[in-house]
Amino acid sequence: MFSYTFQWKQAFAKLPLMLDGALVTVEIALLSMALGIVLAVALTGFRLSGNRFLVAVTAAWVEVARNTPALFQIYMAHFGIASFGVHLSPYVSLLIGITFNNAGYLSENFRGALKAIPDTQARAARSLGMSAVQAFGYVVLPQMLRIAFLPITNQMVWAILMTSLGVTVGMNFDLYGVTQDLNALTFRTFELFALAAVIFYVITKIIQIGARLIANRLFRY
Amino acid sequence: MKTLITAALLLVSASAAQADKLDDIISSGTLRCAVVLDFPPMGFRDADNNPQGFDVDYCNDLAAALGVTAEIVETPFPERIPALMSGRVDVGVASTSDTLERAKTVGFSVPYFAFEMAVTANEKSGITSYETMKGKVVGAVAGTYEAIALEEQVKAWGEGEFRPYQTQADVFLALSQGQLDGTVSTSTVAQANVKSGSYPGIAVVGKAPFDTDYVALFTNREEYGLINYLNLFVNQQVRTGRYEELYAKWIGGDVPSLVVPNTYR
Repeated sequence: MFSYTFQWKQAFAKLPLMLDGALVTVEIALLSMALGIVLAVALTGFRLSGNRFLVAVTAAWVEVARNTPALFQIYMAHFGIASFGVHLSPYVSLLIGITFNNAGYLSENFRGALKAIPDTQARAARSLGMSAVQAFGYVVLPQMLRIAFLPITNQMVWAILMTSLGVTVGMNFDLYGVTQDLNALTFRTFELFALAAVIFYVITKIIQIGARLIANRLFRY
Repeated sequence: MKTLITAALLLVSASAAQADKLDDIISSGTLRCAVVLDFPPMGFRDADNNPQGFDVDYCNDLAAALGVTAEIVETPFPERIPALMSGRVDVGVASTSDTLERAKTVGFSVPYFAFEMAVTANEKSGITSYETMKGKVVGAVAGTYEAIALEEQVKAWGEGEFRPYQTQADVFLALSQGQLDGTVSTSTVAQANVKSGSYPGIAVVGKAPFDTDYVALFTNREEYGLINYLNLFVNQQVRTGRYEELYAKWIGGDVPSLVVPNTYR
């Protein structure tokens, strides 16, 4: 039994507010990916360094990021950190939570990508007179990012969707937060969340198609 | 014999075609109420995890009046409408403010309870009244009357920040941690949480000058038979003194009037 009269007009009137929210969602996802990639490269470097402490840091980070719910990570970034007296805004908490998650997943992607690059390449670069850092930066890293490109876009889609968890830490101006606020005001639950779902779908689809076009252009052999 | 069976069948099908929600509840023998169990003292779980509170008792009374068994369906604030529309519950006994905007979507009874709003603040925040919340970080439970009003107030002040959290517990946790400087909640909820001792460093500092928050029972908008019954039930609860009794049991103090002066209902 489902007795409900859909009132799309009421929901469509709120579309501009939701699109503003969608911009914030995209912004958080982009920032968290940029930070996440940098951190993931660092974590991958840590793992390769052989330093026992750095390897342990990476291992712990990856384990927690991949084996606990993103909701938990974001919640801890807000209420967990706050119990040490550090107060972060919902925006920053959400960004930290998603970045943490991104870095954990991406560093595993990068590790896999590195394994796909033959050791001989780095050795060949070294024999040409490059330093270890140069060999990594000029020879290994570009290839690693190329192999990991599609996994990175997957993570970007995941980051977009994870922003919806921000409501648990008081976020109210991203797409999901705006939708929930409007829902409380109007009780037009189904229309508003259907609209939000379509917007999420369109954003992620644009990312996927865009990534494919970029990949086709950049990675032609 | 044959005509008798045909007549009986006709009768059954005719009554089935006309059965409304009130009939469905009576014939199913169960009244399923959406109750928010994160909202003491209106709804919460006791040490044995059993639902307790004003709303829980109110649902039980309603079921008893209908002659059916009550089933409490725990429903967080944002999920009240999906629960009703998907047919998981029959009636919302969920401290739901009867705004005109919402009445476009669901059908409300007359008010069964009235809240006054109180300001609770972190003791270090410097908030001593509603007005001193200006420019501070304030929050409330997403989707509630006070959250909507407070968010509008922050916008009107043009400074400070508003944060909606998902549960009342998260609001008081954030307040106790100092993530929030102040919150507006129903005075009953504020007192219950401050008294509980789970959230150190917070205190009720005054009243919020919002209009009285009348809350009503709700069901599907077109279920006039049921809404009619709910209206009479609310009236009877007051008339028989049960409302006063429940108020004394769960809240205590002066019983708020459910009648708006100078109006029809």
